[in-house]
Formats: sequence, structure tokens, C-alpha cells
Amino acid sequence: MADAVRTGARAPAADRLTLARLLRAREAGVFIALLVLCLFLSFATDGFLTSLNLLNVGRQISLLGIMAVGMTFVLIAGEVDLSVGSTYAFSGLATGMLIIAGWALLPAIGVGLLTGVAIGLVNGVLSTYGRLPSLIATLGMLSIVRGAALILTNGQPVTVNARNGALPEVLQTFGFMGQGYLFSIIPMQLVFFVIIAALAWVVLSFSNFGFRVYAVGGSAKAARVSGISVNSVKICAFVLMGVLAAFAGILSLAFLPSGQAGRTGLGLELDVIAATIVGGASLSGGEGTILGTILGVLIIGVMRNGLVLMGVSPFVQELMIGLVIIIAVGIDKWSTRRPS
Amino acid sequence: MTEQQSPAPIVEISGLTKRFPGVLALDRISVDFRPCEVHAVIGENGAGKSTLMNILAGDLQPDGGEIRIDGEEATIASPLASRAAGITVVYQELALCPTLTIADNIMMSDMAARSAVSLVPREEMRREARAALTRLGMGKLDPDTKVSRLSVAEMQLVEIAGAIRQRARLLVLDEPNSALSKRESERLFDIVRQLRSEGVTVIYVSHHLKEVLDLADRITVMRDGRTIETLDNDGLSEDRLIRAMVGRELDTATQWSLQPEARSDAAPIVLSVEKLTAPGLDELSFSARAGEILGIGGLPDSGKDTLGEALFGLCGRSGRITIDGKELRAADPHASIRNGMALVPADRRGAGALLSMSVANNVVSASLPRFSLAGFMRRGAVGREARAQVARLDARISHLGQKLATLSGGNQQKIILGRSLVTNPRVLVLHEPTRGVDVGAKAEIYAILRGIAGEGVAVVMISSEIPELIMNAERVLVLRNGRISGELTGAGINEEAILARAMAS
Repeated sequence: MADAVRTGARAPAADRLTLARLLRAREAGVFIALLVLCLFLSFATDGFLTSLNLLNVGRQISLLGIMAVGMTFVLIAGEVDLSVGSTYAFSGLATGMLIIAGWALLPAIGVGLLTGVAIGLVNGVLSTYGRLPSLIATLGMLSIVRGAALILTNGQPVTVNARNGALPEVLQTFGFMGQGYLFSIIPMQLVFFVIIAALAWVVLSFSNFGFRVYAVGGSAKAARVSGISVNSVKICAFVLMGVLAAFAGILSLAFLPSGQAGRTGLGLELDVIAATIVGGASLSGGEGTILGTILGVLIIGVMRNGLVLMGVSPFVQELMIGLVIIIAVGIDKWSTRRPS
Repeated sequence: MTEQQSPAPIVEISGLTKRFPGVLALDRISVDFRPCEVHAVIGENGAGKSTLMNILAGDLQPDGGEIRIDGEEATIASPLASRAAGITVVYQELALCPTLTIADNIMMSDMAARSAVSLVPREEMRREARAALTRLGMGKLDPDTKVSRLSVAEMQLVEIAGAIRQRARLLVLDEPNSALSKRESERLFDIVRQLRSEGVTVIYVSHHLKEVLDLADRITVMRDGRTIETLDNDGLSEDRLIRAMVGRELDTATQWSLQPEARSDAAPIVLSVEKLTAPGLDELSFSARAGEILGIGGLPDSGKDTLGEALFGLCGRSGRITIDGKELRAADPHASIRNGMALVPADRRGAGALLSMSVANNVVSASLPRFSLAGFMRRGAVGREARAQVARLDARISHLGQKLATLSGGNQQKIILGRSLVTNPRVLVLHEPTRGVDVGAKAEIYAILRGIAGEGVAVVMISSEIPELIMNAERVLVLRNGRISGELTGAGINEEAILARAMAS
């Protein structure tokens, strides 16, 4: 029996020290990479390490981050959602059209969020009761929702302004959501991202639902025999994703304040998945954290910002982002030896 | 335990029947499991043990018969219903979540029973998990360890700990010790005895007769989907159990080793294996002569299942393997084919065949260079060879372009056999050559193998089906614990002899 005890990895007392724990955590590698990147940029450029630029980075990553939070739930549950870029466009444009039609702000945003719920519900039901792999189901929904957005807007740009019929007081609040600053310094988008990430962190790390998401993605069979309803957990994850993608889309329209069904959020799903994966979530389910996702989003955001500050061409930027994805995930895979 | 004082059974099974396409897996079996007993279920491969356990686990539904739980007629509609009835089946393939911690896994059912909008009580989970582990004498395990970092033995114990927490009254251990070291097994037995004393019924499915005799209160013997008898473990011997497990009458006239044309004693040795060591195999030495069908038998954990792969070079190995005196140096399948060895693996769907490709392409897939010219397939030559093999093996196909997946198991196996023959092997290694093949096609495949042997090929047949070995092999090697535990020839090849060498200790 002694060797039964010795064969597995045991945590000796020293391991319980907070620092050792932190270093052992999955997020440590991503965090160190982010630190190195920031250090490099603060020496290599003049403009990086200023509060103005950093807050700017914060605003730039917020929409991506809000969606990546949703994607974290979906990936941990062992699924994937490719339709988020289309949802982002559809829900944003729908809200925009309602505002132009003279609706009050809350009903317009409410309907926009409900479209996100509906899309998530369809994704979830198709991927569970419909027995389609979520890759296929949401690939189909990517096209369907994008098509629906084109039909809804007739392919025309939607611009939210008073000339088009938006009520002035609605316009003011809507604009503040996208363009405003809290205490005239923190971008509102960043405020939303921080609140959402904090809530998601509590749900995923401390709530019973979060536990179920991990269990379902880690082993659907183990979850099922324990009495967890695998399908409803997965559907909830998709709905959460849908709502967050819709909210990001609405914020985006509030920021710009114009969108077009043929352009808005095109290919965004891949950025979202990339950021989540860089943050340590596993495509095979069961693994990932909100903290990791935030770090993943930050790495991609800081990288983009830094390359712009250094005057690197956008073409090279794309290439570098691709390298970061492969290297970040690669380091994690190559450095952890899994017991066979 | 005597009849008079036996309490009412927890689970009582009567007339239970389960049919699979072409097979009657359970044929009106009856057995009862009583409180506070360790009840061993033994039987050969295919006797129906796993099917019965799958029904108890709620993974399979019976076609007929009745299950009573605490005297009430019950259906076990799902794995969840099985757990709710207090039954936990611990398979070798564990129902654990590898990405979560020990505590998470042990407490998963508790968590499922609570509201989804509550907080996770980490400290309580840790405490409860530690208590459950301590009960099993595993108090040293840190409940915060991820399950993926544990050994298989520890994983089994974690699953048992979870089961006990859920007040499992009937714990099924299906071949629990095939992955365990001797010490780990002993630890497990202690736990089983302790659980019995605490009122849990343990069903213990095992091939290891000595352990069964050590541990069990009663022993049910299964054979060919029937429950043959349930014995009180009182003065039983291994021989007595083996006799109960045997009992199938085989027509000795069909036994190849008794026929004059099966004599290959004088033929030259083709395959010679010296001190072969590989996962599960320990310094194995044997040889096979031209024209001989050499049978290899043994239990699932005897090492026989890795022998085919080790010979062919699919896994790392040490030792000396020669074919016609030429040594196969590296463990390299390509070199094995070049030197005259062909393998028909057990796993037809995975390793064996290109199911989505055509019959013709499958036939030539192991010898592509011969059928290509400057990188292009010589379609004419491919067609000719495929047609020749199909005719020789009498495979029933509609046309050579037919996808392998659309053929029956027997015809698939013939095509895979054809693929091996195209490489002109000197040694043909077959692993479970008739798994998933119906009775008629089995006989045809046997005839083909004898024909191949008749052409001077050394055929090595690794099989869990004892009748198959008896009928076809001229000589049978029985493996146990990675070593040869017996060699049988001629009339000495019979079920009792093979079982005794495979199981007895």
C-alpha cells in the first residue's frame, strides 16, 4: 500500500506555499509571457507605458474579452462556438435598428440580448439533443445568423444618430456606454469587461454551476452517472456565450456608432477562440480559467498595440499574432509531461 | 454461509436474457446477490459476465427476464438509475473526470444534488473527501490532487471512495486487478473485506481463481451466456472451478492437431523468438515451423494481447526475432513486412483496415511500392491482384470498388487477410482472427488459414477463444504473467488444460 500512495503526484508541505502554487498554476506561463512582452515594449517604445495608452489597450481588448469570457465556458464544457462573430453583428444591428426606430434604450438592448439568448439556445440544443458536433452546428449558425443580419438590414449600413430617428436622450446614454469614460478616465467598455469578467470568475470558480461546467467537459460520462444533466449544462454555456456576444456587439455599435451586416465582426470568432486558447483553455474540454482567458486576451491586445506603436506593418502584425498563438499553446503542451 | 441463515437478497436476477445481433449474450440467467457477501463471477471470455455487469450498471437493457431490487421488480434504465439504486460498477475504464481533483470527483454526486446556483463548499468537500479516503486507508492522498496524475490503482480507489460516499450497497468490481501491482491488489482485497464487514455487497469479476477462492463467499460460474452454478466457497479447489467453466463438448474429429496433415515437426523453423521482452511480456522464447499453426492463448492480462504488436514491431521491444535466420533488428513494421512477417491485428476498425477505402485499395495497401510506378498506382495490376485475392479467399463483395465499411465482419477480415498475403509473408501473425465474425465465415477463415499453412507459411494465431485454438492449432502456447506457462500438443490440447495453465496459480 505504501507504493500505491507513492506512485501518484503528492503535494508536499512546501508545495502549499502560495508562491509555489502560483508558479505551478497553468496561468503562470501566460502571465510571465505577458510580463516579458510588457517589459520589452516599455523599453522598445516611448508610448507604451503611459496610463493613457494602457487604458486605450484596455478599451481595445474589452469587446474581445467579453466574448472570450463566454467562450471559456463553452470550451471548458467541451464544445466550441463558431457563430459568435455573426451573433455580435446581428444583435448589435438589431439593437441599432430599434433605437433608430425610436425605441427606448433598455427595451432595445433587451431585445438585442434576447436574440443572443435565442442563438445560444439553438446552438446548444443542436449540439446536445440534436447530436450534431458543435463545430458543425455553430458553423451552420455562423452562416444562418450572418444571412439573417443581411436580410434584416437589407445589406445597408446601420448608423445610430439623431438624423436617422434615434431619440436624443437614448442616443446620449447609448453613446456613453460605448464611448464614455467612468470618472472621465476609465473607458466604459473596460468597465463592462471588468464587471463581466469578475462575475464570470465567481460563477466559474466558486459556484456549483461552474463546477458542473468543468465536470461535463472533463468527462461527460462521469458527470452523467453523478446525476449532472450534461445537456442542460452545455446549453447554459451556449446561452451565456450568445448573450455575451450580443452584448459585445451592442457595445461595438455604441462605440462606432455604425455597423454593416456584411462587415461587422467578420472572422471575430477566430480571434475569440485564439485568445481563449492562449489563456490555457483546452479544445478538448475540462480545462481553462477566467484568469487565464483575461491573460490570453491581454497578450493579444498588448501585442497588437505594441506592434502598432513600433510601426510594424499590419501585415506583419497578423503574422506575429499567429506565431503567438502557436508558441503560447506549444509551450504549455511541450513543457507539461502528462503521465501516460 | 449456509442456506438457512442467508438473508433476503439485495438484487435478484431471474431468467435474464440479452440478445445482440447474431449472439445470445445472456440466456435466461438467474443469480442473486445477498447483503454482506463477496460474490465472485467467473467464466471464460464471452461467457456473458461483462454483459451482466453492463445491465447492472444501466448501460444495457435486457431483452427479457426480471431484476428484483430489495424484492421489488425494477428496471435499471440508465447509469443514473443504477447509482440511485445503490449500485456502483467500477470498470477498468473509469468513470472519473481526469481534469478535476480527487475531492471534486468523490463529491460530484453531492454537487449534482445541490442547487446549481449555490457556492462550491471547497473546505467541506476536501474534508469529506479526506474522510472517504481515510476510510479506505488512503488518507495520505491529497484531495486536491488532479485525478489525471494518479496511478490506475489510485483512480480505482477514488472511484470506490465516491461509491461508498453515495452509500453504494452493491459494488461491482470488473476485473479490478488487471492493472494493479501485487501490493495494490492486496490493498484492494483488504478494502473489499472491510466493505463487506460494513454491509456492502461486492460483486467481484475476475479471471484469477486463487484470488477468487481467497476472497469470495460465493462463486457464480458462467459459460456461454448461462449461469452454470453458484457455489458456496467452502473447500473448493481451482480444479473444481475450472471444471465448471469448461464443459463445452467439442467434436474432436475437427481438431486439426489430430490430423496427419498437421504434422510439421520435420519442417524447418521459420520464426524464432528469443527472450522477447515488451510491455507485458517477459523474456518470451519460442519458435514456429513452416506449415505450422501455432496457437497462443491466455487471459487478457497475460501479455498475449501485446504479443502480436511486439512481434510486428508496433511497440518497443528487446530480444532476438529471426525469420528464416534473418534477424529483425529494429522494432519497425516496415522492416517486418520486408522480411516476411504480416500482422492481422485484433482491432479491425482501428488499426486493421482502411474502412473508408475500397476493397482493391485495402488489398494492396501493405505493398504499395509493388503496385506503383513513378508514384502513380498501377490500376490494372491493383485490380488483378485484388481480384485474385478475393477469389482465393472467397470474399463476397459486389465489386472491387466497394468500400470496406459496407462489408460484413467476416468479409472484411478476409480482405485484411488478403492484404497480408499480398506481401508474401513467411510468418502470418493473427490476433483474434475471428472477432466479430459470424459462425459460417469463421469456418471459412479457418479453412483459409490451414491452406496458408499448407503452403509453408508459419501461422501464429493469438486468440482468446479457446475452441478456436483447439480446433486449429497444432501446438498451443499458454501465456501467464508475460511468460509461457504451458505448451500443449496433439490430444493434449483441450479446454481444461488451456484454462488450467492460463488461470491456476
